[in-house]
Amino acid sequence: MVLDTFLISGLFHVVMLIGLALLLHLQLGLSRIANFGVVGFWGVGLYAFGVLYVRVDWPFGDPIQFVVCAALATVAAGLCGLLVGWLIADLDVDGVMVGTLGFATAVALLATTEQDLTGGALGMGGLRFPYDTGDVAVNELIWLLVLVALVAGILAYVWLVHRNPYGRLLIAIGSNEPLAKSLGKPATRTKLGLFTVTSALMGLLGAMYGVMVRFLEVSSLGIELTLAAVVGLVVGGSVRVLGAVVGVLLTVGVFDIVIQSYIPLPADWYTQTIPLLREVMFGLALILVLVFRPLGLLGHMRRDRLMKRIHGA
Amino acid sequence: MSDTTRVLEVSGLRAGYDGIAVLDEVDFTVGDEVFAILGANGAGKTTLLATLARLNPLMAGTVTFRGTDISRMRAYQSAGLGVGYVPQERGVFPDLTVMDNLRVGGMFGDRSVSERIDEVFAFFPDLKRKLNLRAGTLSGGESRMVACGRALMQEPTLLLLDEPTAGLSPLYVSTFFEAIRRIRVERQVAIVVAEQNATQALGVADRVMVLSLGQKSAVMDASELTTEQLKHAYQI
Ligand SMILES: Nc1ncnc2c1ncn2[C@@H]1O[C@H](COP(=O)(O)OP(=O)(O)OP(=O)(O)O)[C@@H](O)[C@H]1O
Ligand SMILES: [Mg+2]
Repeated sequence: MVLDTFLISGLFHVVMLIGLALLLHLQLGLSRIANFGVVGFWGVGLYAFGVLYVRVDWPFGDPIQFVVCAALATVAAGLCGLLVGWLIADLDVDGVMVGTLGFATAVALLATTEQDLTGGALGMGGLRFPYDTGDVAVNELIWLLVLVALVAGILAYVWLVHRNPYGRLLIAIGSNEPLAKSLGKPATRTKLGLFTVTSALMGLLGAMYGVMVRFLEVSSLGIELTLAAVVGLVVGGSVRVLGAVVGVLLTVGVFDIVIQSYIPLPADWYTQTIPLLREVMFGLALILVLVFRPLGLLGHMRRDRLMKRIHGA
Repeated sequence: MSDTTRVLEVSGLRAGYDGIAVLDEVDFTVGDEVFAILGANGAGKTTLLATLARLNPLMAGTVTFRGTDISRMRAYQSAGLGVGYVPQERGVFPDLTVMDNLRVGGMFGDRSVSERIDEVFAFFPDLKRKLNLRAGTLSGGESRMVACGRALMQEPTLLLLDEPTAGLSPLYVSTFFEAIRRIRVERQVAIVVAEQNATQALGVADRVMVLSLGQKSAVMDASELTTEQLKHAYQI
């Protein structure tokens, strides 16, 4: 069997972004926490995992070492979520955007300057899969399947939240926080709890990405990841369960896999033109959706159905 | 009011915004009754109710609810004790359906939610036909009913209503006041209602307090309030 590693890493990227967009859906779509620092929490997980795994002398080897590092990386991202969430708790949307964006910038800056730990701008190797089949492509394929399982778990969790009083409470807090404060349970704490858990999971996705690429680069901590998650979510519909999935498939999926794999683009485009083209297309998709279907591709369907109900059709 | 039923005791209350007091030295006691707060625009009715609901900080004084000092509590804590609050504006969760607004209100009680929803329908039967609509799409009057229903779902023993009928048609106003009267009687809920519709409010209220800027507020039986005093309160 011939495995296309380009396709596998492309799929990994898409599935990971679906995971991030689903988590962002809980934050932005339901609770209206405008997290523009997705890459920061993801990056904390990525770098915490890498540094712990490579730089620390653990008394045990894989797979325990791997699991411990991944767990600690998840906790580290969660703690960042708790701290950032606490700082932005009472800010308005602008404040939240600036605050989370600032956090992501700080993470990228730290990863660059703390060279001894992170390798700085040169990057850091030494990561590996917690198993070895002898074939890199097979290793990567297995890792992709592990990620698919994790993201499927996140999807199931999101689906459950939607069917639970907890989800209603999140929407209530998101749509009218002052009123939610007088409901009889601490609204701020509920919001903070959600932000902590979702940030932790973003960190876990970062750790998993580190294993897949086996090399940490500060260039991965730029705004592109956040933008891809936000664009995917908004294009699909930020308030629907499947919005994140459909949106990411239609943006990142179409561009990174369909266009890059199956359309013969000139080889010299890959370094500069394609990344630029990607941002332009994402921006365009976002504008088109906001103009023609402000609730996202799936969001519109719900409104149609609502209209039918109102008019008794 | 009998001395045994002191639902709410307010003494020396000072409240306002950014360190500047809007209200000062407000004292009154509410029993098991309908207690109306009258006053012109800007007199501080909303400020007072939001402070009682613990959404505004108390700058001085104490608020005691059924024997418990709630002056330093957060809104969710006093709500948990039984203080229900219906704000003047933004009283619903616009992204949730009417049904889910009621459910979210009933999230934290012990009794069955559907049973409580049925009780809300008994006061506001019109809501039955709107259950699946997003609260954000409702008319002003409908959303007041949802807001009030949501507060009732929390099974409060004191209900703070901030101008529940402002800007609504006369028919609606009398329907709503009838609902208030029934809630008071059937649910044994003490009600504090801020109002501009003085005549209607006086029709259901047992006692009234007139708030006017820079003056000591006066509390009296609803039947005692003279037209002169009313005119003065509204600065007309
Ligand atoms: N958020 C706020 N920040 C600063 N000042 C405020 C705020 N809200 C109200 N005020 C001021 O407090 C005073 C009392 O306002 P409040 O809303 O309590 O009056 P009200 O009696 O409810 O009036 P209305 O009948 O118009 O609702 C007003 O002078 C108003 O300008
Ligand atoms: Mg007011």
